[in-house]
Amino acid sequence: MKRNLHLLSISLVLLLSLSPLAAGGKAEQVTTPSNSLAWVEESLENGLPKVNPLKVSGNIITAGSSTVYPLSERMAERFMQEGYSGTITIDSIGSGAGFERFAVAGETDIANASRPIKDKETESAKTIGRVPLEFRIGTDALAVVVSKQNTFVQNLTKQELAKVFSTAKLWSEVNPAWPEEPIQRFIPGTDSGTFDYFSEEIFNKNAEPILSASNLQLSEDDNILVQGIKGSPYAIGFFGYAYYAENASSLNILSIEGIEASAVNVDNGTYPLARPLYLYSDASIMRNKSQVAAFIDFYLSYVNEEIVQVGYFPAPDKALEQGRTLWLDAMRGIY
Amino acid sequence: MQTQSLFGTETDINTLMGKRKRIGLLWKVAFLFSTTLAILFLILLLLTVIDSSFGYVALRNEVEPSSLIAGKKSVKDFSRAELERVAATNLSSGILRRVEYEKPLEQRTGNDLVALLEQYVIKPKVLKTWGLWDSLTHTKAIDEYSRSEEGSYLTFKSWINAEFFLADQSADPLHAGIRTAFLGSLWIILITFLFAFPIGVGSAIYLQEYAQDNRLNRILQLNIFNLSAVPSIIYGLLGLAVFVRAMQSFTSGSMFSSLTDATANGRTILSGGLTLGLLVLPVIIINTQEALKAVPASLRMSSYGVGATKWQTIWHQVLPASGERILTGTILALSRALGETAPLVVIGASTFISVDPTGIFSKFTTLPIQIYQWSARPQGAYRNLAGAAIIALLILLMLMNSTAIYTRDKLAKKKRLES
Amino acid sequence: MHEQTAHPFGKRKRIHERVIETTLFLSAMLSILITVGIAFILIRESYLFFSDPDVRLLDFLTGKKWQPMIGLFGFLPLLNATLTTSIIAMALGIPIGLFVAIYLSEYASDRSRGILKPILEVLAGIPTIVYGYFALTFMTPLLRSIFGETTVEIYNTASAGLVMGILVLPMIATMAEDAISAVPKELRLASYALGGTKIETTFRVVIPAAMSGLSATFLLALSRAIGETMIVALAAGAGPKLTANPFEAAETITGYIVRISGGDVSYNSIDYNSIFALGLVLFLITFTLNLTSRKISSLFHQEYD
Repeated sequence: MKRNLHLLSISLVLLLSLSPLAAGGKAEQVTTPSNSLAWVEESLENGLPKVNPLKVSGNIITAGSSTVYPLSERMAERFMQEGYSGTITIDSIGSGAGFERFAVAGETDIANASRPIKDKETESAKTIGRVPLEFRIGTDALAVVVSKQNTFVQNLTKQELAKVFSTAKLWSEVNPAWPEEPIQRFIPGTDSGTFDYFSEEIFNKNAEPILSASNLQLSEDDNILVQGIKGSPYAIGFFGYAYYAENASSLNILSIEGIEASAVNVDNGTYPLARPLYLYSDASIMRNKSQVAAFIDFYLSYVNEEIVQVGYFPAPDKALEQGRTLWLDAMRGIY
Repeated sequence: MQTQSLFGTETDINTLMGKRKRIGLLWKVAFLFSTTLAILFLILLLLTVIDSSFGYVALRNEVEPSSLIAGKKSVKDFSRAELERVAATNLSSGILRRVEYEKPLEQRTGNDLVALLEQYVIKPKVLKTWGLWDSLTHTKAIDEYSRSEEGSYLTFKSWINAEFFLADQSADPLHAGIRTAFLGSLWIILITFLFAFPIGVGSAIYLQEYAQDNRLNRILQLNIFNLSAVPSIIYGLLGLAVFVRAMQSFTSGSMFSSLTDATANGRTILSGGLTLGLLVLPVIIINTQEALKAVPASLRMSSYGVGATKWQTIWHQVLPASGERILTGTILALSRALGETAPLVVIGASTFISVDPTGIFSKFTTLPIQIYQWSARPQGAYRNLAGAAIIALLILLMLMNSTAIYTRDKLAKKKRLES
Repeated sequence: MHEQTAHPFGKRKRIHERVIETTLFLSAMLSILITVGIAFILIRESYLFFSDPDVRLLDFLTGKKWQPMIGLFGFLPLLNATLTTSIIAMALGIPIGLFVAIYLSEYASDRSRGILKPILEVLAGIPTIVYGYFALTFMTPLLRSIFGETTVEIYNTASAGLVMGILVLPMIATMAEDAISAVPKELRLASYALGGTKIETTFRVVIPAAMSGLSATFLLALSRAIGETMIVALAAGAGPKLTANPFEAAETITGYIVRISGGDVSYNSIDYNSIFALGLVLFLITFTLNLTSRKISSLFHQEYD
């Protein structure tokens, strides 16, 4: 009786003391916000210090666009594979929600975005003492996709695109040659930068026509969209190119205004739905948490080696150059 | 002549009886059938999960081993010297630097080097996966696929293996594991237990031993029953509003200034544990009450009879007598909490988290949430991973429930021997 | 073991006892605090939601489109999807659960009962996320192969509903079996004595006698199905749609809450407040069902002694 209770309390104490041991493996090191950049190696030719991830520690908190997510995930993984020992978290919640966490709640160090920051969001950031810095990291060719079973659509004009995603109920209403079947729409949710971009490009910033469409399914998780579109020949949707590339065996991508989404067409600017991808941070965060600066440096330096594999397209050299200058400005005095 | 009765002739009665008996038999078959269906559902469920966890995988290497060393088809065939040489020349500078830092190439074992080369140089990519059933029955179709895809090769993979438990989250399905999620689950259950057990047992003791049968206590009782049937997502909303937002300074740890981080927020293990604690609290209370009720009044009476006070009676007589039932019920409640997904999604478990939780103020992900995220991804390989993770979860639950039953039996036996 | 023999029955011991009693009382009060907390949070955030000029209560209750971003706040599509999945779940779970319960209590030998009850317990203990996975990887492809890929969308409420039925099956079976077993043997024997067969006894005597427990069971199961989240989140669909066709995708109340909170909206945005308003509705529905279930079980409870 008494012994059993003693036994219980002893095992409880044991459990409690063992649990920190369970956190072995890749446990986080204690972080001392340092102003000395221990992780700097020699300079790269384009002016950014070379990062030695082995010497970077501390946590990095990022959140935002689901489009940017696979890219950030790849860069974070590479960062860790090359020796980063701290914690990095990336939440895929949509550009809007990412800005919310960055600029209003102040919860994140970096916001991932597939659209530029809005004035309102910049204002909010200022009220909590942050000045958003924009780093362009790549380009996405927004992929408008249908299932592989869809044999009737290969191309859409911008006008047709607008109709497909708003007023038309049946495919035949857009083009009489197409079947008389209801259009099943799968689109990113309203928190998503992709959604904002699409409404801006196709509907002139008006979200109403697309949101009033029939047969509409929204999700911030592009994987759910892929799943839905795969399932029916009459489904259509759009998301970042990487999600198409990952599922190219079950999806067909449409050309827009006759122009395919390819590296060439993105580079020369002819693909109508090419859009920039960004990271946003703030100079004070970068200076106080040097690991954030290290990660951004690493990102800017090596993103072009990884971006094509992830499924996106490199940013123009000029934009990357601007990002580097911004980084150097932010870190002036420390580096 | 046939006997007449109020109910008709004998033949009539026999016919009628026959019909009634047949109807009875029909229904019995229906009941038996339903029971078989129920068992069938369970089997189907388990088979689906097992089916996803094993099967053929079609892989394609980014870099073929034969292009590194002519004539050798697999990295495992390389000699030790070749392994070192290839590693030194083909690993990217950043990776090489880290690898050398952890342990120089010359000191590494052959197997180590093989694994390194596989992961960083050869980089096999998953083209397609099949379930166990397909792998056993459709071998021809699988072979055909492999032949049609240039450079691909097949391997039979058990998605649940030691590496699966030890690896952390990764974008590459071949290297993804559940370690972070697993630890997150354990941490949260610990907090849940520490919060809900004392309060739950305490409340139950009060309600059962001290409370008079007045209006307030009846309402209290009813209230607890209702709470136990509230959908779990409501607890998630409550946790979001109270623990994550309103109590942010407490749950993020910034109140204790252990985090000078400006980005601390309330989406921590502490918030998750407290929320699940609220969820299981009513269950623990009800279960403990039942256990206390089962203790015979005579035990209490005899204790009072020798002059013990109320608390002494409870502590020395009633609790030990009901202890094993309380413990069993608590463990079962905790195993339910282990499988909960919705409240933690609402609280905000992280999508990508690279490091194991180090304390109650860490961000987290749990096993059920990992399963949820993997299930939502359309590529086949993630289905397999989700299946393997489900097996891990079910094993964990089975262990917990067995512990509960084992403890109960052991304590019961001890009591029998002592009495 | 008892150290109290040396103590006089003095003030000191009484205080000790009072302290303990008060601590325990406060623990019990915490449960009230939780209920109050739930109600308070839900009501406050819902108030914020309904006080927004774009939202009108009548529209909320009767409107047919739910799209907060453009000011449409009719929650009927969400309610409809919730009801569709729950009704399908009940249609599967109640008959089979009841039949299993009847088999277990009336027909099964002790040995088979010893095997079947643990199986039911195992089914009951499987986390709902596993059922969600099952719906997506087994049930949906099954429905699509039976009814054709054009009739059954890849996300649909039928698949979610059927799997939900399997989820509540063990719960219904166990509780119904308890209710049926609670009917005293004497009633059955009396019926046999009057010449009834086993099946007639079951249907005309035992079931009606157990009706209070059975109705309570069914209401609780319905409440469980309505509050279920993960199965619908994975399998039912991601967009609110008012439709009577269970083969189409439609988002339920719980699915919507999970989707929006996963996206993390701003505090005080209309989306954030809407999940609390919906949470309040959900709470009220399940609370009413639970309360009614207890009322019925006590109201129609028959005393046989």
